[in-house]
Amino acid sequence: MAETRTLRSFAHRTRRFVIGYQLCLSSIRTAGISSVWPGAQQDCREGEFEMRCTRPTVVAFLAASLPLARFAAAQKVTRKAPTAQDWAAIAKLPDFNGVWEMVFGGGAARSGGRSARVAGPPLTPAYAAKAQAERAQPAREAETANCLPPGLPAIMGQPYPMEFLLTPGQVTIVIEAYTQVRHIYTDGRPLPEDPDPTFYGTSVGVWEGDTLRVVEHFRLTDPDTMTIETTVIDPEALAMPYSMGTRTLKRHRNWTIAEYVCEENNRNFVDAQGKAGIHLANPEASPK
Amino acid sequence: MKNTLPETVILASLLVGSTGLALAHHSFAAFDMASQRDISGTVKKFDWTNPHTWVWIDVPNDHGSVDTWGFEGMSPNYLARRGWTRGTLKPGDKLTVTFRPMKNGENGGMWVSGKRPNGGVLLMGGAITDP
Repeated sequence: MAETRTLRSFAHRTRRFVIGYQLCLSSIRTAGISSVWPGAQQDCREGEFEMRCTRPTVVAFLAASLPLARFAAAQKVTRKAPTAQDWAAIAKLPDFNGVWEMVFGGGAARSGGRSARVAGPPLTPAYAAKAQAERAQPAREAETANCLPPGLPAIMGQPYPMEFLLTPGQVTIVIEAYTQVRHIYTDGRPLPEDPDPTFYGTSVGVWEGDTLRVVEHFRLTDPDTMTIETTVIDPEALAMPYSMGTRTLKRHRNWTIAEYVCEENNRNFVDAQGKAGIHLANPEASPK
Repeated sequence: MKNTLPETVILASLLVGSTGLALAHHSFAAFDMASQRDISGTVKKFDWTNPHTWVWIDVPNDHGSVDTWGFEGMSPNYLARRGWTRGTLKPGDKLTVTFRPMKNGENGGMWVSGKRPNGGVLLMGGAITDP
């Protein structure tokens, strides 16, 4: 499995998550929000576990079933017009369509229990040293307070729903939090060889039976229950593949995705030193 | 009738509370999470906005006037699925707010719950009101 499921990260910043993660593992207590990913740091203040994306995350995903990572220098893929058969094939896939929300308390259960969380991902020696150095730095608050979206994978662990849309060659996830969209290409395209830094990287997935495999494994465990299991593989930073655990989501057939325009009335902020604050003055300035 | 909010349903959601949810947007660093206070006043304004709702309460002070206190709550998209509407709190409503105070001593904090004179309790976390 490990050799067929590869995560490739492209810049030193993508490894910061490992450093931050080592710092924070002992203080994880919000299972539903316990997300880690290359490029993000956690903030241990208040004993909470929080994603922080100080700079855009650079990640790329390779589908599980491909025997080896395929990368392409050119990122342009020309898609054929879907045929009636392509649309018919959608109907044979598991019915992911609809609005899903993470079950409270259903987040990121890890095998191995609490002790496994405290141990954290096993790091390569080079990254263990970086983690040590990072511990000496003062914690910084998440830029999400300034309305930057958290990027992957924290965006997949928000307390707001996500809508899955299946079309030929693609699974689209409309994420209510921060009004974000994630595109998972299932048309067999390769990963970009030299991607730009982005919040969500490039997701390429394949359907294997009832499971959509990206870095996550998405599958239905009953008609209105989805589990998302995430495993990070990063040979440069991680000594072995690291399981982030499994989240459980429920489908809400009478829900629609709502607006979440973070800039509408954001009184929170993080200053240049990484310190959090709240603007309480002048309540009349808020939108009605 | 916006006043017929299912407050009993919201009350039933006590086990979760709002604290675990604010993480979606920011940490609790600005709040003193180790303490909890109650304050009573009159609703001045209810911001039904993202990324947070804000409940503004006029509280009588020692100088014969009022101070305005602000309380941060969950977002409308979340609350609307749990029985709240933009009309749940109206200017003039009497309310006792339980909150985590600001660390810097400013007049405000993080909403934990609200209580009306008739005993109705307003929480922001947990229960889902759909079938």
